[in-house]
Amino acid sequence: MAHSQGKRRRLVADIVRQGRLQHPLFRLRSGQQLLAALAAVSALMFAAPGAALASNAAGKTAKTSGSVHKEKTRAKGPAANARSTARAGAAGRPSSAKEAKEARSAKSRKAGTAVVAAAATSATAARTTRKPAPAGAIQEASNAEARLIAVYEMFGRGQTRPALAKARDLVRDYPNFQLAQLVYGDLLAAQLPPSNSLPDTASIAKMRGNPAMAELHEESKRRLQALRDRPPANTVPSQFLALSTRSRYAIAVDASRSRLYLFENSDKGLKLTADYYISVGKAGTDKVTEGDARTPLGVYYITSSLDPKSLKDFYGAGALPINYPNPYDVRRGKTGGGIWLHGTPPQQFARAPLASDGCVVMANPDLRQLLRKVQIGATPVVTARSLQWISQPQAEKESQSITSAINGWKDARASGNEAQLKKFYLPDFQRSSKKSNEGISVVDDEVKYAQGKRVQLKDMSYLHWKDGDDTMVVTFGEVFEGEKSGRSRRQYWLRQGTDWKLFHEEILG
Amino acid sequence: MPKSPRPRARFSFSPTVRALLLAAATCGAALPALAAIEHEEVDKLMQAGKLDEAMAKAEAYLKDKPRDPQMRFLKGVIQLDTGKRNEAIAAFTQLTLDAPELPEPYNNLAVIYASQNQFDKARAALESAIRTNPSYATAQENLGDVYARLASQAYSKALQLDQNNTAVQPKLAVIRTLFTPTPPGAKPTALIAAAPAPAPVAKAAPAPAPAPVAPPPAKVAAAPAPVAAAPKPPETAPAPAPAPAPAASATANAEVESAVRAWASAWASQDMDRYLAAYGPDFTPAGGQSRKNWEEDRRARIVGKSSISVNIENLAIKVDGQNATARFRQIYRADNLNVSSRKTLEMQRSGNQWHIRKESVGG
Repeated sequence: MAHSQGKRRRLVADIVRQGRLQHPLFRLRSGQQLLAALAAVSALMFAAPGAALASNAAGKTAKTSGSVHKEKTRAKGPAANARSTARAGAAGRPSSAKEAKEARSAKSRKAGTAVVAAAATSATAARTTRKPAPAGAIQEASNAEARLIAVYEMFGRGQTRPALAKARDLVRDYPNFQLAQLVYGDLLAAQLPPSNSLPDTASIAKMRGNPAMAELHEESKRRLQALRDRPPANTVPSQFLALSTRSRYAIAVDASRSRLYLFENSDKGLKLTADYYISVGKAGTDKVTEGDARTPLGVYYITSSLDPKSLKDFYGAGALPINYPNPYDVRRGKTGGGIWLHGTPPQQFARAPLASDGCVVMANPDLRQLLRKVQIGATPVVTARSLQWISQPQAEKESQSITSAINGWKDARASGNEAQLKKFYLPDFQRSSKKSNEGISVVDDEVKYAQGKRVQLKDMSYLHWKDGDDTMVVTFGEVFEGEKSGRSRRQYWLRQGTDWKLFHEEILG
Repeated sequence: MPKSPRPRARFSFSPTVRALLLAAATCGAALPALAAIEHEEVDKLMQAGKLDEAMAKAEAYLKDKPRDPQMRFLKGVIQLDTGKRNEAIAAFTQLTLDAPELPEPYNNLAVIYASQNQFDKARAALESAIRTNPSYATAQENLGDVYARLASQAYSKALQLDQNNTAVQPKLAVIRTLFTPTPPGAKPTALIAAAPAPAPVAKAAPAPAPAPVAPPPAKVAAAPAPVAAAPKPPETAPAPAPAPAPAASATANAEVESAVRAWASAWASQDMDRYLAAYGPDFTPAGGQSRKNWEEDRRARIVGKSSISVNIENLAIKVDGQNATARFRQIYRADNLNVSSRKTLEMQRSGNQWHIRKESVGG
């Protein structure tokens, strides 16, 4: 009965109209409107991998032809796929070409300022040695960060709802992860209609304009960048020319990326096992004087591990002091001290990229990983403005000159030729040792110590540090013929012209 | 012109409607009381503020029919109105379990949670409401408010700001009844129309001549086959005596049409004075809002837009003496929004002016 069916429909229509749809549907949101709104308003545009990478690429392409090549090579990698899908998703399924255009231009406008700046910081490092990232551009990161990145990726693919759900879980588990809160807020705000009538829209707009947001955006950008631009396969930071297996781990900090890389060391060489977001000094890096709120740059060793119970809450899960100022720093008149790797206070999961008084700050779960692994006195910590990554053959090549210098030093000592041995020392050479050796001529002491015996140097480590000067921190043990052990030394060498000269030595035991 | 059913042509089943039909079918047994006079009486008592009386009546009714969702819902609203939040939560929660296809109980749970600052619970409830009925506008709007509050909270956590300084509590809209009583005259017709037996009125109704302004029906073929809902037993509702409408004059139709178009144009040009003047003095905003609040709300929603366009399609006007009903498809675009929906304006004549008495979506 078509007729009564029509009426039945009307019955239902009345129900719908009067019972359920009491308000006009002005704010009915469909998927496409949602995404368009998102593209227009969301601060996530800074953070979304698609946006970051796309604009990164754009920035580089504009810069040099070299980076055009890089962009091309990367296009083969998985990161490129992520990018193109992200781009499609973020611009995403807009209902009209106009909206798509608006979305894209909104994106590039924002990216134009923030992202390119960051790209420029790391570009110097990236340009020289960077190769396409190995497969799996997003590596396993600390749990909270990995989950945050998963939210970005979902968002980038246009999966706004799942992204929102994951972000909600993340802030539930890590309520003090401020960047996660920001992302959650952005995803929620992206669901709102473009209207100013909600009681909270004013406060949202106000908070978006808060200068502290910039720090969170920066944190987001750096986390993403570090996870997208992975160190090339089979490379190590250029400071690690050689590392004895007595150091089971090594740490390298790249301040430009706000990243700490942890390597496991074995007879097969250094292998990157994890990396973590970190914060450095409020005033950046290159510490010179006490109180300058900068993080020192150089090669250091962990000198102790402080019991968290003895520390203020502020330092979180623990603290690992390093030997700043090292002899090279002292030689150059640098001052200050108390540079630690430490955790975060209870109310903050992570801190801004530039936040400390010079320490390197990590999230507590990340620091705990580190605490389990470091060896006091044996785990090197490189802190660099921006790490350069080199291959094993290149590291061997670069260690040739210091190797021959040390062999020369060893041979001169063995031959008892004081004049020849003296050439290896700078006039202001200093030795520090557990035993007092004041008033002892080092050359004299060395010759007596060696007594013309054949000696084998073992467990060689070369840490190369190059800024204005070219320095090498060499750690080794020596074993005299017929004996089981000898001194363990850490020597600081400075290159003068083509020659390496000793300016400091520590007798470790 | 009699109160003829609108030509079917102009009415295709939205998924929502179909879902509803299904819901009505599946819980048909539980919802025989669509029109029960008691519901209306309780609702009237509530509107009159006689909450105790309303409660007594609701409880008496529930003694007989303890599972009746409409009355249980009304009771929940009374509990809410009388500040018995926990009881209201229990009532609405039980309704979401017994009749999960109804969005209203979820919505009202959300209202309570939000008033307790439990915005995440409010969000979850509203998302359930919308899952149940995606085009459920009140829940959508409430969800917008809740998202805004959650976003604001997340931002202040991101910035580690003191959260106590967030000012006004978002005020979510309570749904007052599951199925609001329809204006006099309308419901009985609908009810009888629902009856499987050919109702006298339906018989008497001549085949509807297309309304003068209406474009030729085009959607007949496109209309999906309606869900075969179980025929409802005819209600005992008083048989209506539909007063045959006086023949609608073409002039009245034209007047109404021009009033509707003027209303749309005032809206589109964001001319608030003209827009609000289109609504008569006895206009009642939906959702129990006061006229003043409604005007403020409208002002905020309209003036803030960078541009608005309101197009009217398939306008069908039915004049009945001093009253008229204009039904049409409203295509609303503002900024990034683009919403097409059915709209019904009930108009009333005063002098040679037509004013809006009731505005509703759907139909």
